[in-house]
Amino acid sequence: MPTEIADQNFENIPFEEEKIANKKVAGKPIFIFAGIFGGLLVILLSMAIFFSLQQGKIMPNTKSTPTPTPTLEIKEEITAPSPYATDSAVLKMEEEIKNLDQQITSADLKEAGLNPPVLEMNIKFEK
Amino acid sequence: MRKILPALLLSFFVFSTPILGQEFNFQKAYEDYLFNYNQYRQSYSDFVAAKEAYLTYQTLTSKNTALEKTQKMLKNEDEVIRTYLTALRMKIAETAGITNDEQSILYLKLDNEVSWYGKHKDSLSSAATLEDLVSSSKKMSDQYKNTEVLTYQTLGTILSGKENDFRNQINTKIQDLKGKIGEIRQKGDKDTSLSERWLLEAENRLTRSQEKQFAAQQILAKIKSTNTDKNQSYNKAQFSLEESHQYLKEANSYLREVIREIKSAD
Repeated sequence: MPTEIADQNFENIPFEEEKIANKKVAGKPIFIFAGIFGGLLVILLSMAIFFSLQQGKIMPNTKSTPTPTPTLEIKEEITAPSPYATDSAVLKMEEEIKNLDQQITSADLKEAGLNPPVLEMNIKFEK
Repeated sequence: MRKILPALLLSFFVFSTPILGQEFNFQKAYEDYLFNYNQYRQSYSDFVAAKEAYLTYQTLTSKNTALEKTQKMLKNEDEVIRTYLTALRMKIAETAGITNDEQSILYLKLDNEVSWYGKHKDSLSSAATLEDLVSSSKKMSDQYKNTEVLTYQTLGTILSGKENDFRNQINTKIQDLKGKIGEIRQKGDKDTSLSERWLLEAENRLTRSQEKQFAAQQILAKIKSTNTDKNQSYNKAQFSLEESHQYLKEANSYLREVIREIKSAD
Protein backbone atom coordinates (compact mmCIF):
# COMPACT_ATOMS: atom_id res chain seq x y z
CA MET A 1 0.00 0.00 0.00
CA PRO A 2 1.54 3.20 -1.16
CA THR A 3 1.99 5.81 1.50
CA GLU A 4 0.41 9.21 0.80
CA ILE A 5 2.68 12.16 1.11
CA ALA A 6 0.77 15.30 1.80
CA ASP A 7 1.79 18.47 -0.06
CA GLN A 8 3.65 20.61 2.34
CA ASN A 9 5.15 24.06 1.81
CA PHE A 10 8.17 23.74 4.01
CA GLU A 11 9.39 27.27 3.26
CA ASN A 12 6.37 28.84 4.92
CA ILE A 13 6.47 26.72 8.01
CA PRO A 14 7.81 28.96 10.79
CA PHE A 15 10.59 27.62 12.92
CA GLU A 16 9.70 26.67 16.44
CA GLU A 17 11.97 29.37 17.96
CA GLU A 18 10.47 32.02 15.73
CA LYS A 19 7.02 30.98 16.81
CA ILE A 20 7.96 31.30 20.46
CA ALA A 21 9.55 34.65 19.89
CA ASN A 22 6.55 35.95 17.99
CA LYS A 23 4.29 34.71 20.72
CA LYS A 24 6.37 36.42 23.40
CA VAL A 25 6.54 39.70 21.53
CA ALA A 26 2.91 39.68 20.64
CA GLY A 27 1.96 38.81 24.18
CA LYS A 28 3.94 41.59 25.85
CA PRO A 29 3.90 44.89 23.92
CA ILE A 30 4.33 46.53 27.25
CA PHE A 31 8.02 45.69 27.21
CA ILE A 32 8.53 47.26 23.79
CA PHE A 33 6.95 50.48 25.00
CA ALA A 34 8.91 50.45 28.24
CA GLY A 35 12.10 49.76 26.30
CA ILE A 36 11.56 52.66 23.91
CA PHE A 37 10.60 54.99 26.73
CA GLY A 38 13.58 53.92 28.81
CA GLY A 39 15.91 54.37 25.85
CA LEU A 40 14.60 57.86 25.18
CA LEU A 41 14.99 58.73 28.83
CA VAL A 42 18.62 57.62 28.85
CA ILE A 43 19.34 59.61 25.67
CA LEU A 44 17.68 62.73 27.09
CA LEU A 45 19.55 62.47 30.37
CA SER A 46 22.90 61.89 28.66
CA MET A 47 22.26 64.85 26.35
CA ALA A 48 21.41 67.10 29.29
CA ILE A 49 24.57 66.05 31.14
CA PHE A 50 26.70 66.31 27.98
CA PHE A 51 25.50 69.84 27.18
CA SER A 52 25.86 71.04 30.73
CA LEU A 53 29.45 69.75 30.71
CA GLN A 54 30.11 71.26 27.29
CA GLN A 55 28.80 74.58 28.50
CA GLY A 56 31.33 74.49 31.28
CA LYS A 57 34.12 73.55 28.85
CA ILE A 58 33.37 76.21 26.24
CA MET A 59 33.44 79.06 28.67
CA PRO A 60 36.93 80.31 29.21
CA ASN A 61 37.65 81.11 32.78
CA THR A 62 38.42 84.74 32.17
CA LYS A 63 37.81 85.62 35.77
CA SER A 64 41.25 84.94 37.05
CA THR A 65 41.72 85.04 40.74
CA PRO A 66 45.21 86.18 41.56
CA THR A 67 46.99 84.08 44.09
CA PRO A 68 47.63 86.10 47.19
CA THR A 69 51.09 87.57 47.27
CA PRO A 70 53.10 85.79 49.94
CA THR A 71 53.91 88.26 52.62
CA LEU A 72 56.66 87.91 55.10
CA GLU A 73 54.90 87.76 58.42
CA ILE A 74 57.11 89.57 60.84
CA LYS A 75 56.14 88.74 64.34
CA GLU A 76 56.01 92.04 66.13
CA GLU A 77 57.40 91.20 69.46
CA ILE A 78 56.53 93.50 72.27
CA THR A 79 59.49 93.58 74.61
CA ALA A 80 57.72 95.45 77.39
CA PRO A 81 54.06 94.42 77.46
CA SER A 82 51.40 96.56 79.06
CA PRO A 83 48.63 95.16 81.31
CA TYR A 84 46.47 95.10 78.16
CA ALA A 85 48.77 92.81 76.16
CA THR A 86 46.69 89.80 77.14
CA ASP A 87 43.33 91.58 77.37
CA SER A 88 40.76 89.42 75.56
CA ALA A 89 38.94 92.42 74.03
CA VAL A 90 42.20 93.84 72.68
CA LEU A 91 43.29 90.46 71.29
CA LYS A 92 39.89 90.02 69.63
CA MET A 93 40.14 93.45 68.00
CA GLU A 94 43.69 92.68 66.90
CA GLU A 95 42.50 89.52 65.16
CA GLU A 96 39.59 91.31 63.47
CA ILE A 97 41.84 94.12 62.23
CA LYS A 98 44.29 91.56 60.84
CA ASN A 99 41.47 89.79 58.98
CA LEU A 100 40.18 93.08 57.62
CA ASP A 101 43.70 93.91 56.46
CA GLN A 102 43.80 90.69 54.44
CA GLN A 103 40.38 91.42 52.92
CA ILE A 104 41.40 94.93 51.91
CA THR A 105 44.69 93.72 50.42
CA SER A 106 43.09 90.95 48.37
CA ALA A 107 40.08 93.01 47.18
CA ASP A 108 39.61 93.12 43.40
CA LEU A 109 39.19 96.80 42.60
CA LYS A 110 39.24 96.35 38.83
CA GLU A 111 36.64 93.66 38.18
CA ALA A 112 38.18 93.31 34.72
CA GLY A 113 35.88 90.38 33.92
CA LEU A 114 32.90 92.73 34.15
CA ASN A 115 34.14 95.26 31.60
CA PRO A 116 31.59 95.77 28.79
CA PRO A 117 31.80 93.25 25.93
CA VAL A 118 33.45 94.27 22.67
CA LEU A 119 30.67 94.28 20.08
CA GLU A 120 30.44 95.26 16.45
CA MET A 121 27.69 97.83 16.11
CA ASN A 122 26.15 99.55 13.14
CA ILE A 123 26.79 97.02 10.40
CA LYS A 124 27.02 98.04 6.75
CA PHE A 125 26.95 96.15 3.47
CA GLU A 126 29.47 98.23 1.59
CA LYS A 127 32.93 97.46 0.31
CA MET B 1 3.33 48.73 32.72
CA ARG B 2 1.36 50.53 35.41
CA LYS B 3 4.22 49.93 37.81
CA ILE B 4 7.06 50.68 35.43
CA LEU B 5 5.83 53.96 33.97
CA PRO B 6 5.51 55.92 37.24
CA ALA B 7 8.90 54.60 38.33
CA LEU B 8 10.51 55.77 35.11
CA LEU B 9 8.85 59.18 35.31
CA LEU B 10 9.91 59.54 38.94
CA SER B 11 13.51 58.66 38.11
CA PHE B 12 13.46 61.23 35.28
CA PHE B 13 12.40 64.01 37.63
CA VAL B 14 14.81 62.93 40.37
CA PHE B 15 17.80 62.93 38.02
CA SER B 16 16.81 66.05 36.14
CA THR B 17 16.08 68.18 39.23
CA PRO B 18 19.74 69.02 40.04
CA ILE B 19 20.24 70.24 36.46
CA LEU B 20 17.04 72.27 36.22
CA GLY B 21 16.97 73.55 39.79
CA GLN B 22 20.31 75.38 39.88
CA GLU B 23 20.28 78.51 41.98
CA PHE B 24 20.50 81.66 39.87
CA ASN B 25 23.26 83.81 41.30
CA PHE B 26 26.00 86.06 39.96
CA GLN B 27 28.25 83.13 39.04
CA LYS B 28 25.49 81.47 37.02
CA ALA B 29 24.56 84.78 35.36
CA TYR B 30 28.20 85.42 34.51
CA GLU B 31 28.56 81.94 32.99
CA ASP B 32 25.43 82.57 30.90
CA TYR B 33 26.98 85.82 29.68
CA LEU B 34 30.29 84.18 28.74
CA PHE B 35 28.46 81.37 26.95
CA ASN B 36 26.42 83.87 24.94
CA TYR B 37 29.51 85.93 24.21
CA ASN B 38 31.19 82.87 22.72
CA GLN B 39 28.09 82.17 20.64
CA TYR B 40 28.12 85.77 19.43
CA ARG B 41 31.78 85.66 18.42
CA GLN B 42 31.16 82.51 16.41
CA SER B 43 28.13 84.03 14.70
CA TYR B 44 30.08 87.22 14.04
CA SER B 45 32.78 85.24 12.16
CA ASP B 46 30.02 83.58 10.10
CA PHE B 47 28.48 86.98 9.41
CA VAL B 48 31.80 88.45 8.19
CA ALA B 49 32.31 85.48 5.84
CA ALA B 50 28.73 85.70 4.52
CA LYS B 51 29.01 89.45 4.03
CA GLU B 52 32.26 89.09 2.09
CA ALA B 53 30.74 86.38 -0.11
CA TYR B 54 27.69 88.52 -0.83
CA LEU B 55 29.72 91.63 -1.66
CA THR B 56 31.96 89.58 -3.95
CA TYR B 57 29.42 87.42 -5.82
CA GLN B 58 26.14 89.39 -5.44
CA THR B 59 24.10 86.23 -6.04
CA LEU B 60 20.69 85.51 -4.61
CA THR B 61 22.04 82.56 -2.63
CA SER B 62 24.83 84.62 -1.11
CA LYS B 63 22.30 87.35 -0.30
CA ASN B 64 20.02 84.90 1.49
CA THR B 65 22.96 83.47 3.41
CA ALA B 66 24.07 86.98 4.38
CA LEU B 67 20.53 87.76 5.55
CA GLU B 68 20.38 84.63 7.66
CA LYS B 69 23.86 85.09 9.21
CA THR B 70 23.31 88.78 9.91
CA GLN B 71 20.02 88.06 11.60
CA LYS B 72 21.60 85.38 13.76
CA MET B 73 24.56 87.59 14.68
CA LEU B 74 22.32 90.51 15.68
CA LYS B 75 20.10 88.25 17.77
CA ASN B 76 23.17 86.91 19.55
CA GLU B 77 24.39 90.48 20.08
CA ASP B 78 21.10 91.34 21.79
CA GLU B 79 21.44 88.25 23.94
CA VAL B 80 25.02 89.11 24.93
CA ILE B 81 23.94 92.55 26.14
CA ARG B 82 20.92 91.14 27.97
CA THR B 83 22.96 88.49 29.81
CA TYR B 84 25.75 90.99 30.54
CA LEU B 85 23.30 93.42 32.12
CA THR B 86 21.73 90.56 34.08
CA ALA B 87 25.19 89.59 35.38
CA LEU B 88 25.72 93.20 36.50
CA ARG B 89 22.33 93.13 38.23
CA MET B 90 23.29 89.98 40.13
CA LYS B 91 26.66 91.49 41.05
CA ILE B 92 24.90 94.49 42.58
CA ALA B 93 22.68 92.16 44.59
CA GLU B 94 25.72 90.32 45.98
CA THR B 95 27.92 93.36 46.71
CA ALA B 96 27.85 94.69 50.23
CA GLY B 97 28.02 98.44 50.77
CA ILE B 98 25.50 99.49 48.11
CA THR B 99 22.51 101.28 49.62
CA ASN B 100 18.97 100.06 48.97
CA ASP B 101 18.15 103.28 47.12
CA GLU B 102 21.13 102.89 44.80
CA GLN B 103 20.17 99.26 44.23
CA SER B 104 16.56 100.09 43.39
CA ILE B 105 17.48 102.82 40.92
CA LEU B 106 20.01 100.64 39.13
CA TYR B 107 17.67 97.63 39.05
CA LEU B 108 15.02 99.75 37.40
CA LYS B 109 17.42 101.14 34.79
CA LEU B 110 18.99 97.75 34.07
CA ASP B 111 15.60 96.05 33.77
CA ASN B 112 14.47 98.67 31.26
CA GLU B 113 17.58 98.05 29.18
CA VAL B 114 17.17 94.27 29.35
CA SER B 115 13.58 94.67 28.21
CA TRP B 116 14.61 96.92 25.29
CA TYR B 117 17.11 94.37 23.95
CA GLY B 118 14.56 91.59 24.39
CA LYS B 119 12.06 93.46 22.23
CA HIS B 120 14.74 94.33 19.72
CA LYS B 121 15.73 90.68 19.44
CA ASP B 122 12.10 89.71 18.78
CA SER B 123 11.75 92.40 16.14
CA LEU B 124 14.69 90.95 14.19
CA SER B 125 12.61 87.91 13.23
CA SER B 126 10.35 90.07 11.07
CA ALA B 127 13.23 91.63 9.13
CA ALA B 128 12.88 90.55 5.49
CA THR B 129 15.76 92.35 3.80
CA LEU B 130 19.36 93.28 4.51
CA GLU B 131 18.28 96.92 4.62
CA ASP B 132 15.85 96.08 7.45
CA LEU B 133 18.71 94.49 9.38
CA VAL B 134 21.06 97.42 8.78
CA SER B 135 18.37 99.77 10.06
CA SER B 136 17.77 97.52 13.08
CA SER B 137 21.48 97.44 13.81
CA LYS B 138 21.57 101.24 13.73
CA LYS B 139 18.78 101.36 16.32
CA MET B 140 20.74 99.00 18.54
CA SER B 141 23.89 101.05 18.11
CA ASP B 142 22.06 104.20 19.22
CA GLN B 143 20.57 102.43 22.22
CA TYR B 144 23.94 100.96 23.19
CA LYS B 145 25.37 104.45 23.70
CA ASN B 146 22.94 104.87 26.61
CA THR B 147 23.56 101.34 27.81
CA GLU B 148 27.30 101.99 27.98
CA VAL B 149 26.75 104.95 30.31
CA LEU B 150 24.62 102.78 32.56
CA THR B 151 27.16 99.94 32.58
CA TYR B 152 30.06 102.22 33.55
CA GLN B 153 27.98 103.86 36.27
CA THR B 154 26.91 100.44 37.53
CA LEU B 155 30.51 99.20 37.58
CA GLY B 156 31.48 102.35 39.48
CA THR B 157 28.70 101.70 42.00
CA ILE B 158 29.89 98.12 42.50
CA LEU B 159 33.47 99.23 43.18
CA SER B 160 32.26 102.10 45.41
CA GLY B 161 30.08 99.61 47.29
CA LYS B 162 33.15 97.56 48.13
CA GLU B 163 34.92 100.68 49.36
CA ASN B 164 31.90 101.69 51.46
CA ASP B 165 31.84 98.26 53.04
CA PHE B 166 35.53 98.40 54.00
CA ARG B 167 35.18 101.96 55.25
CA ASN B 168 32.22 101.01 57.43
CA GLN B 169 34.15 98.09 58.86
CA ILE B 170 37.19 100.27 59.63
CA ASN B 171 34.91 102.89 61.18
CA THR B 172 33.37 100.23 63.43
CA LYS B 173 36.88 99.19 64.55
CA ILE B 174 37.77 102.83 65.24
CA GLN B 175 34.70 103.18 67.46
CA ASP B 176 35.58 99.93 69.30
CA LEU B 177 39.14 101.15 69.87
CA LYS B 178 37.90 104.55 71.01
CA GLY B 179 35.78 102.79 73.62
CA LYS B 180 38.71 100.70 74.82
CA ILE B 181 41.07 103.68 74.92
CA GLY B 182 38.47 105.65 76.91
CA GLU B 183 38.30 102.78 79.37
CA ILE B 184 42.13 102.71 79.72
CA ARG B 185 42.26 106.48 80.16
CA GLN B 186 39.73 106.27 82.98
CA LYS B 187 41.75 103.61 84.77
CA GLY B 188 44.83 105.77 84.38
CA ASP B 189 47.30 102.86 84.25
CA LYS B 190 48.56 103.71 80.76
CA ASP B 191 49.22 106.81 78.65
CA THR B 192 46.76 106.83 75.73
CA SER B 193 47.88 109.98 73.89
CA LEU B 194 49.87 108.12 71.21
CA SER B 195 47.03 105.68 70.56
CA GLU B 196 44.61 108.58 70.22
CA ARG B 197 46.91 110.26 67.69
CA TRP B 198 47.02 107.07 65.60
CA LEU B 199 43.22 106.90 65.73
CA LEU B 200 42.98 110.49 64.56
CA GLU B 201 45.29 109.69 61.64
CA ALA B 202 43.16 106.67 60.76
CA GLU B 203 40.05 108.88 60.71
CA ASN B 204 41.86 111.38 58.48
CA ARG B 205 42.66 108.57 56.03
CA LEU B 206 39.01 107.53 56.00
CA THR B 207 38.00 111.09 55.13
CA ARG B 208 40.54 111.23 52.30
CA SER B 209 39.34 107.87 51.05
CA GLN B 210 35.78 109.21 51.00
CA GLU B 211 36.93 112.29 49.07
CA LYS B 212 38.64 110.17 46.41
CA GLN B 213 35.54 108.03 46.08
CA PHE B 214 33.39 111.11 45.72
CA ALA B 215 35.71 112.36 42.96
CA ALA B 216 35.27 109.03 41.15
CA GLN B 217 31.50 109.29 41.42
CA GLN B 218 31.63 112.81 40.00
CA ILE B 219 33.59 111.58 36.97
CA LEU B 220 31.09 108.76 36.39
CA ALA B 221 28.09 111.06 36.76
CA LYS B 222 29.46 113.32 34.03
CA ILE B 223 29.65 110.54 31.40
CA LYS B 224 27.18 111.23 28.60
CA SER B 225 25.87 108.96 25.89
CA THR B 226 27.37 111.23 23.24
CA ASN B 227 30.89 110.95 24.72
CA THR B 228 33.28 108.96 22.62
CA ASP B 229 35.76 108.46 25.45
CA LYS B 230 33.48 106.78 27.98
CA ASN B 231 36.07 104.13 28.64
CA GLN B 232 38.73 106.72 29.46
CA SER B 233 36.41 108.46 31.91
CA TYR B 234 35.71 105.13 33.57
CA ASN B 235 39.46 104.41 33.82
CA LYS B 236 39.96 107.79 35.53
CA ALA B 237 37.19 107.00 37.99
CA GLN B 238 38.69 103.58 38.64
CA PHE B 239 42.09 105.15 39.31
CA SER B 240 40.50 107.52 41.81
CA LEU B 241 38.86 104.52 43.51
CA GLU B 242 42.24 102.80 43.71
CA GLU B 243 43.63 105.86 45.47
CA SER B 244 40.65 105.74 47.81
CA HIS B 245 41.47 102.10 48.48
CA GLN B 246 45.08 102.99 49.28
CA TYR B 247 43.87 105.37 52.00
CA LEU B 248 41.75 102.59 53.44
CA LYS B 249 44.80 100.34 53.60
CA GLU B 250 46.69 103.05 55.45
CA ALA B 251 43.80 103.65 57.84
CA ASN B 252 43.69 99.98 58.74
CA SER B 253 47.46 99.80 59.19
CA TYR B 254 47.17 102.67 61.70
CA LEU B 255 44.66 100.63 63.66
CA ARG B 256 47.28 97.91 63.93
CA GLU B 257 49.62 100.55 65.35
CA VAL B 258 46.97 101.48 67.91
CA ILE B 259 46.75 97.85 69.03
CA ARG B 260 50.53 97.64 69.22
CA GLU B 261 50.60 100.81 71.32
CA ILE B 262 47.90 99.53 73.67
CA LYS B 263 49.78 96.26 74.16
CA SER B 264 53.12 98.00 74.87
CA ALA B 265 54.03 99.40 78.26
CA ASP B 266 54.79 103.16 78.53
